[in-house]
Amino acid sequence: MPGRLIQLRGITRRFGSLVANDDVSIEIESGSCLALLGENGAGKSTLMKVLYGAIQPDSGDILIDGRQQQFRGPADAMAVGIGMVFQQFSLVPALTVRENLLLASPRAPWLQVPGAPGLDTVLEVLSRLAPDLDPRSRVADLAVGERQLIELAKVLNLDARTIILDEPTSVLTPAETQRLYGLINEMVADGKAVVMITHKLADVAACADRTAIMRRGKLIHAGPTRDMSRQQMVDSMIGAGSPASASPPPPPDRNVARVVVRELGARTETQQVQGISLEVAPGELLGIAGVVGNGQTVLAEALAGLHPLTAGDVTVDGISVAWRPTPPVPDGRVAHIPEQPMLNAVVPTLDLAANLQMRDIRRRSFWQFGRRGQADLTVRLQAADVRPPEPSRLTGTLSGGNLQKLVLGRELAGEPSLIVACYPTMGLDVAATRTVYRQLFAHLARGASIIWFSEELDDLLEYAHRIAVLRDGRIAGIRNRDQADRAGIGDLMLMHDMARSA
Amino acid sequence: MDEATLILIAGWVAAILRSATPLLFVTLGETLSQRVGIINLGIEGEMLAGACFGFAAAATTGDPLLGLIAGGAAGVVLSMVHAGLCIGLGANQFGSGLAVWMIGLGITSFYGRAFVGGQVDASGSLGGSWLGDSPVLAQLLDNLSWTALAAVLLVLLAGFLLYRTRTGLAWRTVGEAPEAARAAGLSVPRIQVSGVLLGGFLAGVGGAVLSVDYTQTWAQEMTKGRGLVAVGLVIVARWNPYLVLPTVLVFGGAEAAVTRLQAGGFVLSSHVLASLPYIIALLVVVGAYAWGRRGSGMPEGLKGVFAVRGS
Repeated sequence: MPGRLIQLRGITRRFGSLVANDDVSIEIESGSCLALLGENGAGKSTLMKVLYGAIQPDSGDILIDGRQQQFRGPADAMAVGIGMVFQQFSLVPALTVRENLLLASPRAPWLQVPGAPGLDTVLEVLSRLAPDLDPRSRVADLAVGERQLIELAKVLNLDARTIILDEPTSVLTPAETQRLYGLINEMVADGKAVVMITHKLADVAACADRTAIMRRGKLIHAGPTRDMSRQQMVDSMIGAGSPASASPPPPPDRNVARVVVRELGARTETQQVQGISLEVAPGELLGIAGVVGNGQTVLAEALAGLHPLTAGDVTVDGISVAWRPTPPVPDGRVAHIPEQPMLNAVVPTLDLAANLQMRDIRRRSFWQFGRRGQADLTVRLQAADVRPPEPSRLTGTLSGGNLQKLVLGRELAGEPSLIVACYPTMGLDVAATRTVYRQLFAHLARGASIIWFSEELDDLLEYAHRIAVLRDGRIAGIRNRDQADRAGIGDLMLMHDMARSA
Repeated sequence: MDEATLILIAGWVAAILRSATPLLFVTLGETLSQRVGIINLGIEGEMLAGACFGFAAAATTGDPLLGLIAGGAAGVVLSMVHAGLCIGLGANQFGSGLAVWMIGLGITSFYGRAFVGGQVDASGSLGGSWLGDSPVLAQLLDNLSWTALAAVLLVLLAGFLLYRTRTGLAWRTVGEAPEAARAAGLSVPRIQVSGVLLGGFLAGVGGAVLSVDYTQTWAQEMTKGRGLVAVGLVIVARWNPYLVLPTVLVFGGAEAAVTRLQAGGFVLSSHVLASLPYIIALLVVVGAYAWGRRGSGMPEGLKGVFAVRGS
């Protein structure tokens, strides 16, 4: 197979005011594995979707062996042998492994009786990737790692010579990860080009001979992996400090715990946390850092009393607020600002008034006539800086910033003692971000305790009084602000993976 | 077993199969429609239209086969309304289905008046054919028309197409995961329209078999909810064409048994007796869940029917 060179030149892509890719140029060679490294939202997936034809760039060119390409859709990219395996698989769970492969293969025979010619050719690649996998088993019954192998087989069945893997190890067990590393190295030895989108240094160390690092839409560095130290990678990925926009009140003088989390355990189908012990003083801002998917969601819901505990307890002023064994009665002591507020915090098809009063729904009168209190609501919306402050407006029409302000206005109205905030500024513009921080800081000054989940390490280092790192469902370490630096926290978040698999 | 017993059993089997044939067509049609992700409550109206226009064609031309074809055509025309509303315009499937049912009811009441009380000749029985002439077979075949045979063969053919061909794989994928089907390059609307129209055709034929072949007469609202029963039997059969055959036969057998019990002077409220087939169907559903515990076999895409779009 002759080698080939794919060049992305000056790719720029905007989503509204967000620049997801800012003049990015990289090269992808046959017989080589390129790691595209960066934090969430750095623009890695967008760049690769441009190459896969799923997203059209605003400007920039794609060249294959020097010839310019126009991809109107993934079909065009597949036609020249570019395939992509997404984080969210496109398999049909109710069908068998073989049926899923037949569905995706252009060479599938019409007559699919047992023993029909061509029925087993679609399995050839898979039988090399996973010799033990029974093609008659239903995809719904398979582990995530096995499903990923089927997706990979689908792509390879289409004669892909350039294979893009989007965060391939984020859903895998350690053993499955090791096997995937082996497969990637085999494909590279076979002369294929592999691009691995990742935020894990362990992935880079295991497979990539070249590394490109992106941050906030820009390409920071690209070159052979061996020329960079791990420290340089972490620095390039996480970036230098950003200018402060607001400042939090100083940490409380006396560290008397008000919120006590003792040996907390909780689990969902996909995540679990165990042995979580934390103490937060009045007026203290405790940041929780960690790569997404290490148990943040279930921990936040467990702290807010929205998810049953399997062990331990959460107390505020000595009174349990946890769901154990029964859900707590909401009394305004705990506020919860969930991630993705449009999905988790509001009913988009109801008006602002209904969503603003959602917490009091059990105290409202049975009759909901007339527009009594409309003026009150307008005042509350104005106080929360929601624009426009129209109580009858549909909530789904608000912008992200105004929606988050609505949620804050509702959750923080009762002067809560504990505020659980999950990625409260994610996807917001600078002004809205500043408003969110200012409100949280005002409640800190009042004496509330805040537990703040964030992926923005810069922001955590800037604002949090202490930072706890969550990894694999456990607290990997807690640092005071004056002892914490980017490298130390990054070590706790990432490096141990590296040590384990290197 | 002596020959007399065998003849008795053959008579029973023939009676069950005869009374179950219309339902077999209709249930198979609804199964195929739901396999591509479209619930069609209008199947009751389509069956009624098939019965009415099938009977009209058979009475006018004297040819039962033409009657069945006309019935199928009437079912297709009505199912086009459902397909147009649901797939073309994105209307709610329940609303559209109920509308189609009412349209079928209205049209057949209006145009069917002229044919009320009419009579047609049945299509030929299977008796005396090449299939054999022993007394047992004769008892079975003399009482069956070729429509029963066609229904059984169609069920097997549909199962084969659905599970053993690329076309069937495409249909199942559309019903299970429309997004994945699109990603695989399939035209989801085209396959859904095909499924609904084929379902309408089979429902129309089923209706025509009822009027032309079974009762050999036409009466207003003569389907008496059999189309809706078919919607329920699809669930009992777990959306599997092969299981449509035993399901409908158990249900038809219970119906035939009730008739025999009543004729035999069995003293019990006729309302209780009439509900017996439904109780049996319910027990089958409950038993299948308790015993199997593997989910209902319901295509995932059907669950979207209950979701709000565009939110």
